[in-house]
Amino acid sequence: MALTITCPICGKRNGYEFRYGGEEKGPRPDEAGLTPEAWCDYVHMNNCVAGVQEEWWFHKDGCGSWFKIHRDTTTNLEIEQTEATE
Amino acid sequence: MFLKNKPMWGKRTKLKSSYDVVIIGGGLHSLATAYYLAKDYGITDIAILEKNYIGFGGAGRNTAIVRANQRTQYNVPLYKEALDLWPVLTKELDYNLMFNNCGNLNLMHSEAAMKAARMNICTAQFHGVESHLIDAKEAKELVPALNISEDITFPIHGAMFHPPGGIVRHDAVVWGLAKGAAKKGVEIHQQTEALDITTKNGKVESVKTNMGTIQTKQVMISAGGYSAALINSMLGIRLPISVLTIQAMVTQPLKPILDHVVSSGAYHCYANQTLKGEIATGAHMDPWPNYTTLNTAYYIKHQAEALSEFLPALRGLKFMRIWGGLADMTPDMAPIMDGNDQVEGFFMDCGWGYFGFKSCSAVGKYMAEFIAKNECPDILKPFNLKRYQDHKLMGETAALVNYSPDN
Ligand SMILES: Cc1cc2nc3c(=O)[nH]c(=O)nc-3n(C[C@H](O)[C@H](O)[C@H](O)COP(=O)(O)OP(=O)(O)OC[C@H]3O[C@@H](n4cnc5c(N)ncnc54)[C@H](O)[C@@H]3O)c2cc1C
Ligand SMILES: [Zn+2]
Repeated sequence: MALTITCPICGKRNGYEFRYGGEEKGPRPDEAGLTPEAWCDYVHMNNCVAGVQEEWWFHKDGCGSWFKIHRDTTTNLEIEQTEATE
Repeated sequence: MFLKNKPMWGKRTKLKSSYDVVIIGGGLHSLATAYYLAKDYGITDIAILEKNYIGFGGAGRNTAIVRANQRTQYNVPLYKEALDLWPVLTKELDYNLMFNNCGNLNLMHSEAAMKAARMNICTAQFHGVESHLIDAKEAKELVPALNISEDITFPIHGAMFHPPGGIVRHDAVVWGLAKGAAKKGVEIHQQTEALDITTKNGKVESVKTNMGTIQTKQVMISAGGYSAALINSMLGIRLPISVLTIQAMVTQPLKPILDHVVSSGAYHCYANQTLKGEIATGAHMDPWPNYTTLNTAYYIKHQAEALSEFLPALRGLKFMRIWGGLADMTPDMAPIMDGNDQVEGFFMDCGWGYFGFKSCSAVGKYMAEFIAKNECPDILKPFNLKRYQDHKLMGETAALVNYSPDN
């Protein structure tokens, strides 16, 4: 099924205009005292939720914004809670 | 429904309250592991738990391509052994797996791709796997339907030709292994969903299911694309996996026209003709994680465009069936096989992306050894989960397009 994504600037658009940017993992960990395990966790590890997850998108064929949405990975439907970042 | 009838692999049994080994997921890797546990180690007190029916997952949805021309020295020997096992299993299981070793042709569309192919071929030849570099004319001789004109989006420069690969009937592998395992005493429980794994003092204690709790000391999760979510929710172990829907389709049947598996990274498309005459084709993965297994109009159009360029004789053909399944992709395009590390008695075999069919025979054999001896066989050691934090990623990615949405 096709996916639509709501860009905070351009509105609801075809999902193929966007690049998926990964699960929301919180802020990049502090470099002081960073262990390989913690870094690996931030860089590579995912929750792979079958359900609603918060995630990043990049409007590559559009305005170039990075933003977060909530989406149900079992239906590909966006869940309203869009939150833009600059 | 199907639960009323006697399953094809033997009689249905009641789920017991304890087993030596519990395996979650009724796909190829589970069935193969159970089969080899019984055959090679005499461990037969095994329950395979399958939420739906065996073959529901990737096992029954894949496009059945087998080959052993991967990129790294860790992967090639494993896939070679898997490839060599098809004729052996056909005999052993007394089940026609319809192995058609028609050979694989990987098209290359640039000089850079030819150079990458040369390196892959060196690795293959070093490991005793037949693989050659051929030019566009030779490719055309092998596959007359190929369009080698320079007038297409991605002109063909040459190809990596791997004669021993081909196609195996995927349903037959599911049924053959199920029958083979059941004959040796393995129990297959369909409509049985694993809900949780409980541990005590860092050891596996039991598996909770919708049919009751099972005491066990050893449990393996090999549930295809569902593995990562299950492992995280049951044991809190996060994996470097992205679960993407991968789509495939077949055309109406034709007279024989393609007697090789032809694939193209640039066109993002592979095709082969099944023994029924249909052109089976696929490759597209949704570039965002999802569990839908649905098809997209975007992809059907892409596939029609790609095929009509490099196999123009297929123009005007109709697609007859389309479907999707899950591919659990890792950042280095190599699987994760691990055990007794995070939790004693817990084993995982996942991250198989779109290569879990061609590998299942050999992997079943080695995961069985791992579980039976509680010691990781050397050939599986490099596939452990820690490799990501040790920066020992496997470097399979250069062989193909970058699929994982994370990197
Ligand atoms: C369209 C497509 C094309 C592909 N083409 C190829 C190819 O050409 N060559 C190749 O090598 N590979 C290919 N693959 C990949 C291959 O099919 C998979 O890697 C492989 O099938 C996955 O392993 P499996 O068979 O062991 O698991 P699966 O068959 O995916 O089994 C997982 C099972 O686990 C069950 N399950 C899930 N949750 C639970 C639970 N809680 N409790 C109990 N059971 C559960 C599911 O119902 C399912 O039956 C393809 C995949 C797809 C989708
Ligand atoms: Zn935008």
